[in-house]
Amino acid sequence: MYKFFLYTILIILYLGLAKVLSPSEHGVQYLQNAGGFSKIIKGNQSTVILIDTHATGFLIKTYYQKFRVISGYENVEELIVRTSKEFAKKNLNHIGLSLYRKSDELEEFLPLPPGSLYIGNREFGEWKINKKGQTVWKFNKVFKNFPKYLGWGKFKPDMNFYQQMRSSISLNHPFYGPHKEFGPEGKITRRNFPHFFKEERMKKLDMKTLLIEYFKENF
Amino acid sequence: MAEIFDRLVIRILLAAFVCLMIYLYRYAHVIFYPSVKRQVLKKIHPAENPADTLHLFSRLVGISIIFSSITFNESSGFFLSLFHFAVWGTIAIVLYLLSLFIIESIVFYNFDYTDEILKRKNMSYAFISFCHAIVIAYLTKTVMMEAENSLVILLVLWLFMLVIVGFSVKYFTFISKLTLNRLLIQKNLSLCFSYGGFSLGAGFIIASCFDQEHYDITIYCIQVLLKTVLSLIIFPLFKKGLVKIFPVYLGDERGEVGQIDTDMQSLGYGFYEGCIFISAAILTTMIVNRIQFGTIYPFF
Repeated sequence: MYKFFLYTILIILYLGLAKVLSPSEHGVQYLQNAGGFSKIIKGNQSTVILIDTHATGFLIKTYYQKFRVISGYENVEELIVRTSKEFAKKNLNHIGLSLYRKSDELEEFLPLPPGSLYIGNREFGEWKINKKGQTVWKFNKVFKNFPKYLGWGKFKPDMNFYQQMRSSISLNHPFYGPHKEFGPEGKITRRNFPHFFKEERMKKLDMKTLLIEYFKENF
Repeated sequence: MAEIFDRLVIRILLAAFVCLMIYLYRYAHVIFYPSVKRQVLKKIHPAENPADTLHLFSRLVGISIIFSSITFNESSGFFLSLFHFAVWGTIAIVLYLLSLFIIESIVFYNFDYTDEILKRKNMSYAFISFCHAIVIAYLTKTVMMEAENSLVILLVLWLFMLVIVGFSVKYFTFISKLTLNRLLIQKNLSLCFSYGGFSLGAGFIIASCFDQEHYDITIYCIQVLLKTVLSLIIFPLFKKGLVKIFPVYLGDERGEVGQIDTDMQSLGYGFYEGCIFISAAILTTMIVNRIQFGTIYPFF
């Protein structure tokens, strides 16, 4: 009994020391839920886009998510955080979407297409009529790289897109675009975040294929 | 041809210099063991006292192990490389003997060298001392290699190593059924093999904890500490597992207690425990050091 008690103390001591002292525990912030963004994201007029997600571990999983943080007047940066299981699972279908937006003191947590914060904001751009007669959103010259950062590619949001988005916001429903262009099934997201949708990462291997590949690689 | 011959001459001269350093060690040995001044500084008579011979020559093996970690850099000049060897060799001798003195003071706190080796010719004592000499030498070598010619780092790591070894030798009483002090007085050989296996195993574990890349001394020491605590968790699992896989028969368990005691004190039980300790330690180093958990890098 005495030895068992000592052994338990030893395990607790190890876990405690590893948690406090291990360098791998430092540097990666923890995100319990979307509310945690407020503490991490400091810049104003910021949007946070989920660009990758990954789980490590065998029995007890650790979930990581990678975000692209775009702030109106600051540099674009990428942020890796450890998240709770619930938050990670909830956002599996929100790849390529903006999960958090901060404008002045206002915060939004509804998953929306990236850049939704800036569309309609005259600080960042204006509505213009193109050759086809459609009213489309165009960023000001200062923000000409924003479509690239936001993962839009050649996509230009029109008035219809904007109105549908506003309607989703009022209903508090996630919005993936009028034709579901954004999100894991969306064409635009798939084209502009190719790393996440790589074939090797998407395919699920069965045990037989795994063993065949192992023998091919090692013998 | 001339260049090859020159290199051969250099090797011979360096070998002679190493012998000179070992000759100096004889005098250093006397500082810690003044009672053997007569034996050590004159001709040694191995047949007279095998325990003393084992005790003395275990130190020689230890010193040789440590010297093997010091490198000669001929490109910086012959005399400079000799000077480098002399400086680090002397530091190694001092640290080694000091470590041995401290560890033996902890383990043999009830015993006296003069009584056990010179008067009683206790082979069990001598063998345990031999294992200490090998283990401490191996650990000092590891620490010297990690210090990478920095005296400050060497002193920090040496002190750290000494603390860990000091605690680890006390661990024997927790995991062995043999009583160190009682059996050592009885010159029991079962104890020396069991303890020998334990100390060599502990040496393997501690050396493997120190053997890792280091960029920052604080982070390095933290990693060593964490690995040591992890080894303390893993080692009993292997020890218990091996004992379950290879159960031993210790007398008639319904019979008298004395029979079990006699069986435990037999040479066979000493071999058994010693081998279990070494195997468990080697397997522990594998679990602690050889598992690559990878990083999240390929994904992010």
